[in-house]
Amino acid sequence: MEIITRQVKEKPLTVTIEYPEYNESVSTLVRKISSMDVNFSASIDERQVKIGLSEVYYIENVERKLFIYTIKEVYRLDSSMAEVEAMTADTDLVRISRTCIMNTNHLKEIRQLKNSRLEAVLDNDEMLIVSRKYLKDIKRFFQKGRV
Amino acid sequence: MKKILKDTCILAALMILSVFSISIIWSGITDEIGLVLKLFGLAFIIAVANFLFDEFVNLSIVVSYIIKYFAITGIVMLYGFIVGWFYPSNFWMAFIYVGVVLVLAYFIDSFIVKKDIKYINSKIADRSNEAK
Repeated sequence: MEIITRQVKEKPLTVTIEYPEYNESVSTLVRKISSMDVNFSASIDERQVKIGLSEVYYIENVERKLFIYTIKEVYRLDSSMAEVEAMTADTDLVRISRTCIMNTNHLKEIRQLKNSRLEAVLDNDEMLIVSRKYLKDIKRFFQKGRV
Repeated sequence: MKKILKDTCILAALMILSVFSISIIWSGITDEIGLVLKLFGLAFIIAVANFLFDEFVNLSIVVSYIIKYFAITGIVMLYGFIVGWFYPSNFWMAFIYVGVVLVLAYFIDSFIVKKDIKYINSKIADRSNEAK
């Protein structure tokens, strides 16, 4: 793969992908680049902030309120789970339970506990419960192919 | 292989439904057609119950299957009494029918979950190695 970068002052940041044939790698590349444009408008201490997708560790629905968890902070997200799912459809975020959407880029391991429940371990050592029903979705995400 | 088996089951179900739907036009609902339609009805109710259970309840696999066993047996018994499959003397057979299906489902589910976890973790390991 050849990477060409050049400065074009009059144009906004533009990414052109040339490929001999469209395959999983191209699809993943497009998804990765597209996901760089996804931002969440969230709030913390009555301040509005923009959070980039890569900063998100997971998004959780607690008593019908959505919260974004980053490595250090927890932000309130004024949106619904369905809206977030639609927004992150082609990104690295994947639903892991009825109330939680996880960023797979921060996933370190999935493990089965002694009581057979499933747990996702993130790279900050935080642990999230994974519903068996959504394990297939996580697997499908990794099957999509990576660049 | 898994996909072929799944497609075979779906195709067989569609064939049965379409053939019987056409047969109903000519010969009405015979006992055989009625039985198959009742089985489809029961399968639909169980599938809905199973979907709702998996969506809203997150317990260990063993506890899930124990609860499902009693819930599904209850549904099968109730449905069986309504459509005339069971009588007070043989209703206990529902426990055996459901038990056999669920034991098989439990082992297949456990196996698939282990396999999926292994696959996901191997992909994460590949990603970590690529990043190094």
